Amino acid sequence: MSDKLIQIETPFVFNGENQREFDALIGRYPVKEAAMLPTLHLAQRQVGYITPAVMKYVAEQLEVSVMKVKDVVTFYPMFFEEPVGEYVIRVCHTLPCALRDCKGVLDHLKAKLDTDVASETNLAKGTTPDGKFTLMKVECLASCDVAPVIMVNGDLHKNLTSEKVDEILNDLSEK
Amino acid sequence: MVQERRILYEHLDVPDINTFDVFRQYDGYTRFEKAIAEYQPDDIAKMVMDSGLKGRGGAGFSTGLKWSFVPRDIKPCYLCCNADESEPGTFSNRYVLEKNPHLLIEGILICCYAMGIETTYVYIRGEFTLGKEMLDAAIKEAYEKGYLGKDIRGTGLNVDIYTHPGAGAYICGEETGLIESLEGKRGQPRNKPPFPAVEGVFGKPTVVQNVETLCNLPFIVGNGVEWYTQMGPTYADTRSDPPTPDPNTGTKLYCISGDVNEPGVYELDLGLTCSELIEVAGGLRGEEVKAVIPGGSSAPILTHYELDTRLDFTSLTLAKSMLGSGGIIVMNETRNIVDCLLNIMKFYAHESCGQCTPCRWGTPWVRDIVQRIADGNGRKSTMTRPKFGVAENGRWGDTGETEEIYEDLDLLESVANNIANVDTMTWNTICVFGIAVSWPAVSYMRKFRPEFEAAIREGELVTLPVAEATVPPEENYAYQQRFVPKEFADL
Repeated sequence: MSDKLIQIETPFVFNGENQREFDALIGRYPVKEAAMLPTLHLAQRQVGYITPAVMKYVAEQLEVSVMKVKDVVTFYPMFFEEPVGEYVIRVCHTLPCALRDCKGVLDHLKAKLDTDVASETNLAKGTTPDGKFTLMKVECLASCDVAPVIMVNGDLHKNLTSEKVDEILNDLSEK
Repeated sequence: MVQERRILYEHLDVPDINTFDVFRQYDGYTRFEKAIAEYQPDDIAKMVMDSGLKGRGGAGFSTGLKWSFVPRDIKPCYLCCNADESEPGTFSNRYVLEKNPHLLIEGILICCYAMGIETTYVYIRGEFTLGKEMLDAAIKEAYEKGYLGKDIRGTGLNVDIYTHPGAGAYICGEETGLIESLEGKRGQPRNKPPFPAVEGVFGKPTVVQNVETLCNLPFIVGNGVEWYTQMGPTYADTRSDPPTPDPNTGTKLYCISGDVNEPGVYELDLGLTCSELIEVAGGLRGEEVKAVIPGGSSAPILTHYELDTRLDFTSLTLAKSMLGSGGIIVMNETRNIVDCLLNIMKFYAHESCGQCTPCRWGTPWVRDIVQRIADGNGRKSTMTRPKFGVAENGRWGDTGETEEIYEDLDLLESVANNIANVDTMTWNTICVFGIAVSWPAVSYMRKFRPEFEAAIREGELVTLPVAEATVPPEENYAYQQRFVPKEFADL
């Protein structure tokens, strides 16, 4: 890990829009460190995942140590430390979805995308070779009434069947 | 049949209710205006206390009482709105955020006025992209219309609301975990005391309230305490002499999912029974109810013997379960309880924050034991031992019979009870996550023991018929102290 932190290839800075958002964020809290989560979300939106350069930059901006940023990044499952596909497909597999056959949806996605399911330490395992999709299992997405559900980036898809999954994948492939 | 009583959800399906103008047409912000025009802050706090409103997030703690712990002389004081809805089976807050965010803002304004709070953080789940978008838009509109910001409506009241996104950690729904996360750290819960009401976010007094709790405030202020307390039962707490009233007032957003025909959110008065709720939700999908989880996956399971249990805070506590967040999951006769427990234990093993050793190591251990049983490798001893149960004299003790020893079931109970002991209600962890793990683990195992034994004996998952899979209440020591509460009016 220490090697990763030292090997900073391309330095990171916020682009204009994100810089403006960050400036607005920082004024909301009495201490700068509190802006950690929204700042990391901004950075991840810009580069796709949290690189060592991002951690260093965020640490400087929030006036904390790089280790503290790393500490936070490793705790929260929504922050990625490896590159992910353009579309991250999150499949809910907690009890209410399991009662409505989320396993069928997951198996169908696995077959369609011809990939395995990503684990938190190995995102590449669930990413398609063309870098378009990453397939991962997540815990409850708070949509149990319309189970089974998947979330593609920010969009929730409800009451899934194999046909609906095909439609969603077709739409995404055409984009 | 029990009728829905829509109060929080009344205008949920009105088109464009998320915009200020439409919300305004449906009495939007008039309750807040009434509060600042007619009442002093202390009056509002008293109204909330008298209304008997209990926190809807999970613990069911009296909101008025929580407010009374906040020292009034330490400023600034913060309000944290908990919109980190991640308990499996719960999804009512998401609809409020996505469809009617102004109602939440009005609730926040009333709370801020009552408590003299100027800054509110809405901690919203990272996965609620749409919900955050809608709430952000509504907040922006409220600022433009002069209902947020400095000197609101010329009263000198200043309130700012900021949304703060989470990042997918279940534990951040625990109030002190939420506070840590809000401060930009790992969301690991803090020891209590000091309670957040005294020392919360940034070391200042903090009120942490669930979305649903805050959404109740406009209606309490708008329609009065008397109107509010008519809904739901009030019990007598006979532990004190004379008995004190134990209110379960108001409506609850019951989220029902699993094996019912019309899963969804139903707003009903507190205190209806389990079977009534299943009927409201379009009836059971399947032949027979096998089990019901009454309050999110953390709550101890109810069997078909307990379907007459009333779904309110007091009744479920007395039934050794909890209403929690009101996420009801129904399972029919085709479900295997071992399999269901495995799913839930995988969830907890994944979500343990890793701060306390019993939980960090205990949750994966429990998961592994259940996995082993489900895989057909559960361990059973060749020896027998005396059986304990209700003896001839009617008391708990040696029945004179012998029983087989299922080592893995003993181990499961022992490990779970050492994370948090469900019988004594003491936990060896900082937060209540520990009890949220051992409650399902122990209750599923005790109440559906035949199914666990069958899986170990047969070497594969066996789904038994409902009557055979369930341990009758009189043979199950989880039920021993169960009694049905009396209505306050009956005394």
